[in-house]
Amino acid sequence: MSEVRLDVEQRTEFGKGAARRARRAGRVPAVLYGHGEDPRHLALPTIEFARVLRENGQNAVLTLSIEGRNELALTKTVAVHPLKNYIEHVDLLVVKRGEKVTVDVPVVVTGEPGAGAEYYQDMDTVSVEAEALHIPEQFEVSIEGAEVGTQIHASEIQLPPNVELVTDGEYLVVNVGAIQDADTEGDESAEEPAEAGEESGSSDES
Amino acid sequence: MLIPRKVKHRKQHRPHRGGMSKGGTRISFGDYGIQALEHAYVTNRQIESARIAINRHVKRGGKVWINIFPDRPLTKKPAEVRMGSGKGSPEHWVANVKPGRVMFEMTFPNEAQAKEALRRAMHKLPMKCRIVSREGGEF
Repeated sequence: MSEVRLDVEQRTEFGKGAARRARRAGRVPAVLYGHGEDPRHLALPTIEFARVLRENGQNAVLTLSIEGRNELALTKTVAVHPLKNYIEHVDLLVVKRGEKVTVDVPVVVTGEPGAGAEYYQDMDTVSVEAEALHIPEQFEVSIEGAEVGTQIHASEIQLPPNVELVTDGEYLVVNVGAIQDADTEGDESAEEPAEAGEESGSSDES
Repeated sequence: MLIPRKVKHRKQHRPHRGGMSKGGTRISFGDYGIQALEHAYVTNRQIESARIAINRHVKRGGKVWINIFPDRPLTKKPAEVRMGSGKGSPEHWVANVKPGRVMFEMTFPNEAQAKEALRRAMHKLPMKCRIVSREGGEF
């Protein structure tokens, strides 16, 4: 996983008014904590930080330049506005070189299943423990030519050396099943509302 | 239709309609989804109707997830009844949906057909909605 440098400022004023002023000025309010240190309140450059998330994902190790001092950090939580899609706040975790951290790494399915089969991905990410500076970007799972009934569990994912699986190995990641006819489901349940309608009709009468 | 199996109280107060959705604002299971842009009480009939609209359009090879559940009863007094003498009888089961909530999700190989299915489902729902996709969720 790549390492990215960001110039950040220390925040001196707090609360929603100050946070909104910071966002208007192109800064995202953030907090940095971990290793028993006192939390530090920071302001990250919005555009640069959004680009880091887009290009390197949430597991990118950030080198924060705070008032001349460098600090390694990992993004723990990104609060995004549900409708307007801008970053509202970021939680950053202090990490040290060589330290092992637990992170969620995306699982990407490659290949096409066999004829008459389709796949369902039950888990998009798996938790792994890895060295902070060597976090894998993604894990690839191949389902090329997989037949109906094939199941790939978390324990079957190929992990690089020095990376340990934290997620339970028995968890289902990808399931290959037969292509289902969705229309029959619709017809079956199309009858149900009629029954329910009768029930509500009878309750009206009473 | 979706309905709770067992409830603690038959009649409840009307659910609070303020604020934004706290969770479930991103796509979790499928590739495309319907996101609410307004508050609304979505009844179990509307949910079922939207689900059927999606299934009838895609026919084969897709999967649909419903992320909301109508767990709140709404009561109604009969027509032409004077005020008083207690609360009305439970009439609807609704999901209290707040802006930002991804209500339906689906996977389907053909993007245009999937979005058309969701557009048809949106017409069955009582609020303004938009179609969101997994890849379009970047900041």
